[in-house]
Amino acid sequence: MNAVEIVKAVKDARIPATEITGKAIERIRQVDSEVRALLTPLFERALEKAAEIDRKIEHNQDPGPLAGVPVVVKDNLCMRGLKTTCGSRMLENWCPPYDASVIRFLEEAGAVVLGKTNMDEFAMGSSTENSAFFPTANPWDRERVPGGSSGGSAAAVACGYAPLALGSDTGGSIRQPAAFCGVYGLKPTYGLVSRFGLVAFASSLDQVGPFSRSVEDLALALNVLSRPDPADATSSRRKRPDYTACLGKDDLKGLKVGVVTEFENYPVQPEIREALAKIEAILRGAGAEFVPVSLPATIEAGLPCYYILAPAEASSNLARYDGVRYGISAKAENLMDLYMKTRGLGFGPEVKRRILTGTYVLSSGYYDAYYLVAQKARIRISREFREAFLHADLLLMPTTPTLPFRKGEHQDDPIQMYLSDVFTLPVNLAGLPGLSLNAGYSSSGLPVGVQFVGPKWGEETLLAAAEAVERVLGKPACALGGD
Amino acid sequence: MRKPNTPVIGLEIHVQMKTGSKLFCACSTDYIGAVPNTNVCPVCLGLPGTLPVVNRKAVEYAVRTGLALGSRIGLSTRFHRKNYFYPDLPKAYQISQYDVPLAVGGHLPIGEEQDRKWIRITRLHLEEDAGKLVHSARDGRLGNSEYSLVDYNRGGVPLMEIVSEPELATPSEARDFVSRLRQLVRFLGVSDGDMEKGSLRVDANISLTGPDGELGTKVEVKNMNSLRALERALEYEIARQQECLGRGERILQETRHWDDGKGVTCGTRGKEEAHDYRYFPDPDLPPLVLSRDFVEEQRRLLPELPWDLKERFVREHRLSIEDASVLTELPGIAKYYEKCIREGANPLRAANWIRTEVMRVLNEKRISIEAFALSPEKFCGLLARIETGAVSTTLAKELFEKMVDENLSVDEALKKAGSPSGKVTGDDLRKMVNLVLERERLTVEEIQTGKDAKGKKRSFLCGLVMRESKGQADPGEVRKILAEILDR
Repeated sequence: MNAVEIVKAVKDARIPATEITGKAIERIRQVDSEVRALLTPLFERALEKAAEIDRKIEHNQDPGPLAGVPVVVKDNLCMRGLKTTCGSRMLENWCPPYDASVIRFLEEAGAVVLGKTNMDEFAMGSSTENSAFFPTANPWDRERVPGGSSGGSAAAVACGYAPLALGSDTGGSIRQPAAFCGVYGLKPTYGLVSRFGLVAFASSLDQVGPFSRSVEDLALALNVLSRPDPADATSSRRKRPDYTACLGKDDLKGLKVGVVTEFENYPVQPEIREALAKIEAILRGAGAEFVPVSLPATIEAGLPCYYILAPAEASSNLARYDGVRYGISAKAENLMDLYMKTRGLGFGPEVKRRILTGTYVLSSGYYDAYYLVAQKARIRISREFREAFLHADLLLMPTTPTLPFRKGEHQDDPIQMYLSDVFTLPVNLAGLPGLSLNAGYSSSGLPVGVQFVGPKWGEETLLAAAEAVERVLGKPACALGGD
Repeated sequence: MRKPNTPVIGLEIHVQMKTGSKLFCACSTDYIGAVPNTNVCPVCLGLPGTLPVVNRKAVEYAVRTGLALGSRIGLSTRFHRKNYFYPDLPKAYQISQYDVPLAVGGHLPIGEEQDRKWIRITRLHLEEDAGKLVHSARDGRLGNSEYSLVDYNRGGVPLMEIVSEPELATPSEARDFVSRLRQLVRFLGVSDGDMEKGSLRVDANISLTGPDGELGTKVEVKNMNSLRALERALEYEIARQQECLGRGERILQETRHWDDGKGVTCGTRGKEEAHDYRYFPDPDLPPLVLSRDFVEEQRRLLPELPWDLKERFVREHRLSIEDASVLTELPGIAKYYEKCIREGANPLRAANWIRTEVMRVLNEKRISIEAFALSPEKFCGLLARIETGAVSTTLAKELFEKMVDENLSVDEALKKAGSPSGKVTGDDLRKMVNLVLERERLTVEEIQTGKDAKGKKRSFLCGLVMRESKGQADPGEVRKILAEILDR
């Protein structure tokens, strides 16, 4: 059952929330030893929360728009009194004394959190192999990675742990694993969803968003998640629409879909090209028109720009892990020794690499040559997208250049790993919404994803277009024999 | 062009604002005497996932201060992160303003009217305060400590950093500048400006000009916790630099700490590392955009500035510059004085009494004028009696002592005092009354022919008797005797 069906069944008192939760736990117990999507299961707590929902139903109280819907959440979202590790040794046993705003929104809406999902350490990575604890498998081929950094959440939804999951996306961390695991993943417009309680990687790029296996679930989740939040100064105060209202349209007549001309010559695996063509045909069939758009600076400068700005912000955001107040604290001779040892022990190699890069590009003498140039490139990229959206309502793009790669394949080559996000990270630089959807499966049975990118606050257009595709291709399948 | 060997002093002043809550969270700013680490929350502790939200009041206070200094207010400014590791800085960066401060330019007047000097302000910006470390070593230094404790109560308290141009030429000018700025923030009600408590902290940059008047190497002096310390530290530093140059040595560009006990500044012996703060715009905070209406609203809320008020006191009440200076040093005193004037007090007498008696009591009791129990109305009642001669100065001082504690009126104080120490009473007093009545036969006649409906003439006579007795009579008894004689 998807989330919309669960809510209906629970509200109609046809199936108790505890039963839904119980079944989800059963499913997790069945497959998680192979997939390893969860870092911290919260089964007992989940059953208690589900029982609360059932009590509300019994007393005719409104159980909320996500009543009884099981969800899993990425382990960089704070939950009060519960371990929030960010996939790092540094925070191995850290329990925040507060909930992330999005967790509060979910639970107030009646959702039942089943557990915290695995991730690349501090959301830095594209394979979930950078988790300090263990890697997560791609449910469609366990020798391959689920993508990252929200690989645990994507894999969990793909094998039916829960119809909904939360991830965070700084350069593609929701969309890339969604593509690799064959599910929907939405990165909202920067400022649409609160970042309060999301442990920061790169504050100007981070955004929380949902995974699902149906478009209506994605819309339902967005309705709950997109509340303005006074605790986040970057949270937009604009009025939010009802994201489910844009669904159920007969066609996409009048919709202009942009295709980026510069991507024609970019090395992309043939299965992904075929998928793009398939989606184009479906959209055309629904009445959409196609127009060419040009994003030259985005293609040329996006990746280097991102790998200057994101590490710069990360180097500052992660400086607080110094062993003085929380997290691990190394035995040390003096203050400098404490800093060096704690950070030496607590951080993995990719995190260290980015802290070093970020520190370097902000250092006096290099700031102008790197950080400042990257900021200017970012402004150019945003402008380019804005101009593209004068001609198109949404862009159809690959989510990734390749299908899911093998575990260990890129571990010794960070640049190859970074290239996995070449189509997703410009969207973060421009603060735009991006939705990755499944477009079918390769001959070897691996999911193939494509991406819709919209103008700022264009989530409704993305959802409507995804729904048109879903009407033709059906909802994404569940992996490992789930339903 | 400056003359050779002239001190050139610029100041950087950090002012804690009494906004009630911190710059980026709702925690209390009232940390003096609070149990360590109780005025803290996830935001000011910089816990993972937390985000700052700017305190509107801090912006208002800083804008008001900028306007009072005649600065240009930036309508779109931003916050930067100043990155460095230290245990008192929970995020390992301080949120501050860097390339675009909240206010630029302006000036502060020092000296008196005849030799007034306007010292230009470079900039004013907002930033957060750090926590406090307590080192276990006897000398209170980190290096020699077995352990150190940290208290984050102060972390996140809003600060304004105000930077002056290097236009101060002497330690006493520097002192005057700080004292005028302190007076200003107190008048604006944005800070208590207390140097001892650290709510106003001064760093000084000082250099001596070279033989051709060119600027010399500057030294930063820190840790001056009073105006006196500031003046002494700068005097010491000028002498030290002159001696250095006299010996043909070069001045080292460094930060030196003022040791108030020893009366010297100590260098950090070049140990200090060159900091690279890696400033960059804080991505958690959107630009701080202010509307013109907001700025104009803050301008409307400005009180009369202390130097304007002082000039007005001199002009309107004929006070000496010295009297006016003392009365305008603190906004509470100035307000008290103005209330007295509104009550009809003689401006000079009121000024004199506040300067001597009221301020003496405040000092003795170590309280502020806001905690002074005697209302201006009742205080003026006393001044009026002195004015009419109904109460002698000596008696007035005695009565004042009784009035201040419980906010008594003159009459209540008199009653409480009982017969005024039995000085002139009974037959002696009756003789004195008769003496006065003989001198004032005309008035007596008027009273007895019913021309004193309001009793003013009777009071006048009473006052004369009191004056005759040099305040040693009980006014009640005087009135009784007067009544006996006049109504006979």
